[in-house]
Amino acid sequence: MRRELQITREPITETSLVNARQMSAGMGAAVYFTGVVRVQEEGRDIHAIDYEAFEEMARHQFELLFQQMEKRWPIESVRLVHRIGVVKVNEASLWVEVVAPHRGEAFAACQFLIDEMKRLVPIWKKPIA
Amino acid sequence: MTIQVHFYSYFKELTGTERVMQELPDGSTLGELHRQLIVRFPKLEPMRKSTLLAVGVEYQGLDHILQDTDEVSLFPPVQGG
Repeated sequence: MRRELQITREPITETSLVNARQMSAGMGAAVYFTGVVRVQEEGRDIHAIDYEAFEEMARHQFELLFQQMEKRWPIESVRLVHRIGVVKVNEASLWVEVVAPHRGEAFAACQFLIDEMKRLVPIWKKPIA
Repeated sequence: MTIQVHFYSYFKELTGTERVMQELPDGSTLGELHRQLIVRFPKLEPMRKSTLLAVGVEYQGLDHILQDTDEVSLFPPVQGG
């Protein structure tokens, strides 16, 4: 399984990421998810979220999740971009893509990765009013 | 032994620092380190049960026995995405 992980302070450019997709002839599903900063956080209006990561551990924990995905589903590739630093409302903070032979495993693997990231990967957010 | 401890997220505000050195008897566990840190930084007490602890880049339980060169990190529940 090919994996690509970026933890970056740069904006997420979805069109560039989609254009860079590589799929072999046996792959029938590319599922991607974009997480965007909402104007409300815990009931209060905000204008941005400041993301902090323990980056070395975050990379390691993502790699452990990729290994679990590889064991469970016949995935060809996973790509994940997570922003750190200040991300304004309406901007993307997370982009995840899974390429697999069929949609079922692609959706399931994408959901698994995001759910487990939210449980295990050391990234935190601080809302900015 | 001396353990280097890192704090992340709002634990930095609760303790007023990003990093401290903590002296412990040889053979101490992660749980004993956590107790010592709560004595030293009482504002960590309300977060005792939800605190996540890592040694290096791996999560570890409170019964993990520490080594002199370990770097330990304490942080609140993660919130990526």
